[in-house]
Amino acid sequence: MKPEDQVLAALKALAAHDREREAPEQLEGRILEAFRRKSARRSWRQSAMWSLAAAAGIAVAIFLAFPREHVVPVATTPREITTEFFPLMDVQLPFERGQLLRVMVPAGTLRTVGLPVNEDRLTERVQADVLVGEEGLARAIRFVSYEQ
Amino acid sequence: MNTDDPELLGRALEGEEDAFTALYRRRQGGVYRFALQMTGSVEVAEDVTQETFLALILHGSRYDAARGTVSSFLYGIARNFVLRRLDGWREAELEEFAGHDDLLEDLTRRESIEQVRSAVLSLPPAYREVVVLCDLQDASYEEAAAVMACPVGTVRSRLSRGRSMLARKLGRIAVCGSVE
Repeated sequence: MKPEDQVLAALKALAAHDREREAPEQLEGRILEAFRRKSARRSWRQSAMWSLAAAAGIAVAIFLAFPREHVVPVATTPREITTEFFPLMDVQLPFERGQLLRVMVPAGTLRTVGLPVNEDRLTERVQADVLVGEEGLARAIRFVSYEQ
Repeated sequence: MNTDDPELLGRALEGEEDAFTALYRRRQGGVYRFALQMTGSVEVAEDVTQETFLALILHGSRYDAARGTVSSFLYGIARNFVLRRLDGWREAELEEFAGHDDLLEDLTRRESIEQVRSAVLSLPPAYREVVVLCDLQDASYEEAAAVMACPVGTVRSRLSRGRSMLARKLGRIAVCGSVE
């Protein structure tokens, strides 16, 4: 017999010897228990998902059932738009510290910095930020409006 | 009717306990023997079998029929668990065993089967697994390749090399007839 055949015969004998060997019976019980736990979790998850889907469906149905005019618009904060700062002094003094004050000024103030204003709105008041130096002088101004 | 493995697995993943039980009973023996023949330890074989089927419960949906049989999928999982345990394990024991070149006399004794088992266990894991799969578990080259995630050619060459190493370890086993 060739060495390879001898090896195959030996392996065949080992395979035959082991053929009936199986995992212990108690292992089946442990694994099935794990399977049941997994299945139970799966069932719970499916129930939860169905409940969520049902709740979402009901919410959509209620939303669609309401006429549009009954829908209360949600208040949102309009976005603030500011111009650049316009200097209010002819001479640029050194600026180290100061305060920014939010104030209401006549719309005509826009003209003082070269911005166009409609004649019939000159008396209206607009919002502005005034930069005041620590010495108390108004150094610059910017105008504020809100995105519609 | 003998339901096929993929169908049983599909039903098991849907939560059918009967299907899972049938699949377990059909495949546990192979997984257990594979682990046993790879490690030589009944304790480890039991642990690996348990871990393999727990992994099937958790990750069975990853099975892809295009990549192999359910059996190969299970062997692949078991192989990972086995290799984790073999990492750095039994090296001293294997080296010691590898020193015995001629087991002729031992093979004439009643424990000759266990000598063959020891010879298999003394093979480096890469050769041992292919011998276990193809020669002890009757897996085809293709199945073994799927389990080992390597080309069929690699299976062939490793098997040939593994058998040669076994032949050397077992020596002049004219006695081999005594273990048949």
